[in-house]
Amino acid sequence: MGFGDLKTPGGLKVLNDFLADKSYIEGWVPSQADVAVFDAISSAPSTDLCHALRWYNHIKSFQNKKGSLPGVKKPLGQYGPAGVEDKTAAAGDSKDDDDDMDLFGSDEEEDAEAEKLKEERIAAYAAKKSKKPTLIAKSSILLDVKPWDDETDMAKLEECVRSISMDGLLWGQSKLVPVGYGIKKLQIGCVVEDDKVGTDQLEEQITAFEDYVQSMDVAAFNKI
Amino acid sequence: MMALRELSSLEKALGLKKPNKYSTQGDKKVPVLHSSNGPALVGLVTISTHLVREAKLPKLLGGSAEHKALVQQWMEYRLTKVDGCHKEDIKTILKDLNSYLEDKVYLAGNQFTLADTLMYYGIHHIIVGLAVQEKEKHMNVTRWFDHIQHYPSVRHHLPPVVVLRNRVYTSGYH
Repeated sequence: MGFGDLKTPGGLKVLNDFLADKSYIEGWVPSQADVAVFDAISSAPSTDLCHALRWYNHIKSFQNKKGSLPGVKKPLGQYGPAGVEDKTAAAGDSKDDDDDMDLFGSDEEEDAEAEKLKEERIAAYAAKKSKKPTLIAKSSILLDVKPWDDETDMAKLEECVRSISMDGLLWGQSKLVPVGYGIKKLQIGCVVEDDKVGTDQLEEQITAFEDYVQSMDVAAFNKI
Repeated sequence: MMALRELSSLEKALGLKKPNKYSTQGDKKVPVLHSSNGPALVGLVTISTHLVREAKLPKLLGGSAEHKALVQQWMEYRLTKVDGCHKEDIKTILKDLNSYLEDKVYLAGNQFTLADTLMYYGIHHIIVGLAVQEKEKHMNVTRWFDHIQHYPSVRHHLPPVVVLRNRVYTSGYH
């Protein structure tokens, strides 16, 4: 938002268009928004910018009440039509009207404002970064746990496997997949944090249930 | 009956707690205010002015002598030109108001007055019937109208009129 450079005829024209169907910069009563824009304008708009002139004269009549108008003064870029940048140099600047604001480092005050904005943004970004936990590398592993024979109690086997709990390990869905001769293998998925859990650890723990587990394989390993 | 609705709306807008007793007279349905002490008051502007005084809000009638006169002028305009106007007159009214409001936020001076309220009530039915292009052609009237209808407590018995913000014609088309 913003009106472009309010010290140039171009910016005033944006203001004029903006005010064609509005009595005030913001809302339905005079507020600090009007004060902010009023202060940014060096002199009354010309008569061909009739809406800006109307608004200007109207706001001028509130001069002695300036401080008591409602609202909070925001930077000029917060007002006006969307999609238009604010390029007005800070007040008190004795610049030439035609100055092209797109040149770098032209105005100290402007730079200071831009610097401040940049710093604010960096601070906000850093805060956001620090709040959010660093992305934990996770993987989704599908394990095939094979029993000794078809008489192995698969429910018990699954129970044993699920009883394995480690920091960073989350058991997921499981299903029984027949492999032949009536033997079913348990296919169980889990999500692990790479730093904390490795497949060899898992294998060790699972095969520890020697009564039920003959072997374990990693059927699939996907990074999340 | 419109006049009576207006007056009751005005009473609410002014914060008058006790509604007054009204009736109408004549085929033009001119409103009459029956007060408990004193003669009956006849006429929309007369009664409205009286109500404003009753509500102790004299600012709504204007500050300086010129300002007061301006307020009266527009209330008179409402009664004589707007009320009971014919369809052909509507264009003239809109043109008049549009050129007048080009450099003004309110009808009279820099503040909201009874003139704005009464004019708002008066032309509401006209604005409701305007097509989008017409609303844009009389941008100033539309702007003023939208402003007044958002003014706290003005709009009681009248539905809000939608004023499109995305304009069909960009500036330069007046």
